[in-house]
Amino acid sequence: MDQVQQDGKRSGAADSVVPLLELKGLDKRFGATHALKSVDLIFEAGEIHAIVGENGAGKSTLIKLLTGVHVRSGGEVYWEGKPVALATPHEAIGYGINAVHQEVVLCPHLTVAANLFLGDEKVRLGLLQHREMVREAQKILDEIGFKIAAGAILSSLTIGQQQLVATARATTRGTRFLIFDEPTAYLTRQETAQLFALIGRLKAKGVTIVYISHRLEEVFQLTDRVSILRDGQWVSTQRTAETNEEKLITGMIARSIEQIHYKETIPFGAEILRTERLSGKGFEDVSVRVRAGEVIGLYGLVGAGRSEFVQSVFGRFPKTGGQIFWKGQPVEIRREKDAISIGIALVPESRRDQGLCLNLGVGLNINLPIYKRLTKGFVIDPRAEAAAADRQIRDVQIKTASRDAPASSLSGGNQQKIVVGKWLNHGAQLFIFDEPTVGVDVGTKVEIYKLFATLLKNGAGIILISSYLPEVYDLADTLHVFRRGRLIASHDSAHTKEKALHEAILTEALGV
Amino acid sequence: MSVESKIEMSEAVQLAATKQRARIGTLLSLTLVALLALMWVVLAFSTTSFWTYNNISNLLRQGAMIAILALGETFVVITAGIDLSVGAVVGFSSVIIALLLTNGFPISVAIIITLAMGLAIGLFHAFGISRLGLPPFIMTLATLTALRGVGLLITNGATISITNDTFTGFSRGDFIGVPNLFWMVVVVAVPAYIFLHQSRFGRYLFAIGSNTEAARLSGVNTTRMLYLAYTLSALCAAFVGILLAARIGIGNATQAEGWELQAIASSVIGGTSLFGAVGSVHGPLLGSFILTTINNGANLLNVNAFWQRIITGVLIIVIVYFDGLRRKKR
Repeated sequence: MDQVQQDGKRSGAADSVVPLLELKGLDKRFGATHALKSVDLIFEAGEIHAIVGENGAGKSTLIKLLTGVHVRSGGEVYWEGKPVALATPHEAIGYGINAVHQEVVLCPHLTVAANLFLGDEKVRLGLLQHREMVREAQKILDEIGFKIAAGAILSSLTIGQQQLVATARATTRGTRFLIFDEPTAYLTRQETAQLFALIGRLKAKGVTIVYISHRLEEVFQLTDRVSILRDGQWVSTQRTAETNEEKLITGMIARSIEQIHYKETIPFGAEILRTERLSGKGFEDVSVRVRAGEVIGLYGLVGAGRSEFVQSVFGRFPKTGGQIFWKGQPVEIRREKDAISIGIALVPESRRDQGLCLNLGVGLNINLPIYKRLTKGFVIDPRAEAAAADRQIRDVQIKTASRDAPASSLSGGNQQKIVVGKWLNHGAQLFIFDEPTVGVDVGTKVEIYKLFATLLKNGAGIILISSYLPEVYDLADTLHVFRRGRLIASHDSAHTKEKALHEAILTEALGV
Repeated sequence: MSVESKIEMSEAVQLAATKQRARIGTLLSLTLVALLALMWVVLAFSTTSFWTYNNISNLLRQGAMIAILALGETFVVITAGIDLSVGAVVGFSSVIIALLLTNGFPISVAIIITLAMGLAIGLFHAFGISRLGLPPFIMTLATLTALRGVGLLITNGATISITNDTFTGFSRGDFIGVPNLFWMVVVVAVPAYIFLHQSRFGRYLFAIGSNTEAARLSGVNTTRMLYLAYTLSALCAAFVGILLAARIGIGNATQAEGWELQAIASSVIGGTSLFGAVGSVHGPLLGSFILTTINNGANLLNVNAFWQRIITGVLIIVIVYFDGLRRKKR
């Protein structure tokens, strides 16, 4: 540890008294919105500094100010003690300030190498040196320990791997100050481990890391200091070792922690769905059962077969063997339409791509599957349309200005509620949630967990897919572990609170 | 600040924003109405011939055809597609109906066959787009070229004169003082309004334009809806071809050159978004009569015809720019 500190001092030109970056009274207004209110923050050279806060706390605004995407409305920024403007991204990059964003901002059609060198290509006599760049890129990737082929087209990689490429890119250009925004949201455990190893090495080289994440255990695992933002204001900065999860959450939301892990005990009813030795592309021999009021959790690594299994139940990929039973009766689900019509709803991972018509009204989104029912003759009955929308807005508590407000104007959690409301309207009884809490803040998580309770109380069953183990074992009544396309273990909720089991599940999933 | 009061506050802000949006939306259509009215008033005072029965009927006749074309186009544009072929379909339809009439078919049969041909063209577009996976721009660009070619081929490049006076007389006639051609706009627009704003199919078109995958997963038969949109567009174009043939008394495959762009421009001026999911029935109607008024007024004011094109171009940029500002405020 001492070695690291010393390294940090050596490469940061300034002595330890002058911080690498200091913010004094940083302020940002967007029209009437006061996004950042006089924030004071100090980033020391070579530290890993976590910033936590709910969505809307001002973290994104802070990143954008530091990277020169937005210009501040007030306050001072000092880089190695000297006041700087940070008015353009170009200026920020010039100082060595870089960011790895949550969404990958690279060119999907180009190779990994081309992306790494984008804007800084190796050129000889005006011609691109493709082979040299691929070789160089591979060297960089190998050095930082990312197992990615430099010649591969970016879009052929998983989102997690693309994220790693973006990280590699940000570390190659004289970076001294690197901001990570939710870097692990789409990463598998192995990829996360690779990323953390890289962060450790960067720190050893004296790079200052700003780490933004909703996953507090990562904050404790990785960072030296942690700052809390709430409602655009600075709340506190502490050494990470001197605080704990509960204190952080209290600081972030000013609410008590009991409200976070929200789980009600709901008695199970009749069986809704059962699969018997179901097989298909990417999974084999899976038998599970969902009862009314029950959450079954599917846990495993990406590619373990849980998504493939669920896609098959939802009719996206046909099964190759086994049988699906709906309320005890064997059913054939060949297309998504079949699944929807018997009452299965999929709440997809990517709300933007599959779930919602974002620029259309909340009411239209909710009613989309049932317009046939709302039509009298050729014309939609406007009163029935309004009533159906309002009922779901009330029942699943969608916070919206009106049923005509565009879905894009709602928060992430409320957008998810629209998807759920839509399917409740249609009479769905089995809800499949695919990674429902990826990238959402604590407050929204509570909302989603409460939504689960509402659904269960109304007699629905839930299949929950999550790569986030604490979530699965908090919420699932029955927990199924997938590995290499097979269901290898099932645990029931009475035992899942035990820490030993928690570790056992991890071991099972990883196959260590 | 407590969470509840925070939520209440953000709700209040949202509510205000929504109301403002609604206001601005109404404002835009009112602005278009005001713009049209202003042009009419200015022209009425600055020329002696604008505010005459003949000129106004002429303007309504000319505007009617672009209006119907723009309406059909709007259905397609709402799905985030585009139909570049409508001008060619107009020309082609004028040839078909002229051929049928000169070969002694009764008017009703000739009209039905011409419309059926329009229907077939629309189905072909949708087939290429949804089954062959061609981008709408390419598919309809191809038929734009090809249909002109087919039309020229079957007429050998010649113009076919229509001698049926009942048919051509219709376009000159009027009903309670309003030209028949303008009544045709009403005949198309009223069902179009019910279809787009009051039937579920209209909702589906918007949903497809916003997010096709979400619409499909919600049980909307997106393929069938695309067939519907392109068929309606081609049908409107074929109908306009019939009206044009009646108005000028000839069938010629090169007629209505560039009308597809006028139709798209009218639609866009009327607030339709080329990115899909935004559009209305009254918008393209207003847009087309604004464009027609510019042409008509420029003629009366003896403005060089070349200038008309420039004015139209500038107007499209100005109106769509302000419309974009309106959307950005969301």
